[in-house]
Amino acid sequence: MLENIIDIITEISGADEGEIDAGTELFDEGILDSFGVVQLFVQLESLGVKLDVAEFERAQISTPAKIAALCE
Amino acid sequence: MTPYSGLPFFCILVIVLLPAAILGHCGRSLRRYGLLATILVLLAVFDNWQAKLLLLLFWGLQTALSFVYLSVRRRCEKRWALWLFLLAALAPLLLVKLAVFAPKLQFLSILGVSYMTFRAVQVLIEIYDGHIKALHLLGFSYFLLFFPSVSSGPLDRYRRFAADLAKAPDPKTYDKLAVEGFWKIMTGAFYSFVAGNLIFQYWLEALPQSGFGAAVGYMYGYTFFMFFNFAGYSRMAIGSAYLLGVKMPENFNLPFLSKDMKDFWSRWHISLSTWLRDYVYTRFCTQALRKKWFGGGRASSYIGYFLTMLLMGAWHGLTPAYLIYGAYHGVLMSLNELLDTKWKRFRKLKKNNAVSILLILITFHLFSFGLLIFSGRLI
Repeated sequence: MLENIIDIITEISGADEGEIDAGTELFDEGILDSFGVVQLFVQLESLGVKLDVAEFERAQISTPAKIAALCE
Repeated sequence: MTPYSGLPFFCILVIVLLPAAILGHCGRSLRRYGLLATILVLLAVFDNWQAKLLLLLFWGLQTALSFVYLSVRRRCEKRWALWLFLLAALAPLLLVKLAVFAPKLQFLSILGVSYMTFRAVQVLIEIYDGHIKALHLLGFSYFLLFFPSVSSGPLDRYRRFAADLAKAPDPKTYDKLAVEGFWKIMTGAFYSFVAGNLIFQYWLEALPQSGFGAAVGYMYGYTFFMFFNFAGYSRMAIGSAYLLGVKMPENFNLPFLSKDMKDFWSRWHISLSTWLRDYVYTRFCTQALRKKWFGGGRASSYIGYFLTMLLMGAWHGLTPAYLIYGAYHGVLMSLNELLDTKWKRFRKLKKNNAVSILLILITFHLFSFGLLIFSGRLI
């Protein structure tokens, strides 16, 4: 799941291959914003993960590892 | 009677908050007392029988809609059912906003209808999402009508509010909250009555009615007036809520230090902007991406911001000034996002001190100009 998440974020943010790892601070680094989170969550739906954007504070979803933990 | 203005209201405020402070200090739950206090204050604020009757009807309608939808939702997950209930919940607000154009319908106005309606709408949406699975008549009514924030916010959330009611703070925690609340009421009164009134009387009232210089002077004066007046009201509301044991969310966080418009809306009227973000913008974008209305890219976000901010304008009122104000902010938010995504240096520049000062000044002026539109002086 973690790899899927990193791939999706890399794709939607246009980041370089390998730029994002499990511990990357997605908001501080300007990789994700509100819309980026929506894009990510909608793509995760196709992997069978249903997360509600409004239910999370940014601190809870600030790195790929944290997001992966929520998907479990 | 308007909340937080005039001696009679403050006398009532002292009379209802004093027993609350004593009960809270003794470690008693303030749930029941708070509801009683809310009913008493509202009876005084809605000071004629017509206003009382309208409020009663409004409460009855919103309560019925929420409870009926809760039971409907158990059997029907369809989105159209939610829309049906949302339309019914929004109908009184729409009627009140339209009444502005028909002098004969003026009597329909209900104090605080904008805020109360958004509270009710939030409950319906969270029932649809499956986050609210049970409602209690008293708790729901208390949330909807909660007197400290009935007229001008902040806009609280049902589950947060209910969680506060569920656990009465221990005496030590309550005392701390009460002292903070008292301080907020005092500083809020200072903001609103001293700073706000001084700006109004000696700045706005002193300006000539026409001319470019006067409009510029009005723009700055009105911006500071709105801040002190509105942030003052919010502080008094939050302080009063604290004394009733409710830790109401903050509404302002140094907005004039914002470096761009997105930053600004996370610091000004926070409870409304986060409400719009969670229940309008995010939901719109999610649907747009799922159904590929505008492809998979940023177009959904720009359209989402425009519609969300236009709705914010309409929520203030359906007159051209408010609608243009909303559209103006919709365009600004989209341009802000365009800069963030297309111009990578923008992020770095925001961290540079000298550039930050410039950005803060630009953001302040963009917002001030928006308020000049809002004030109706231009249109």
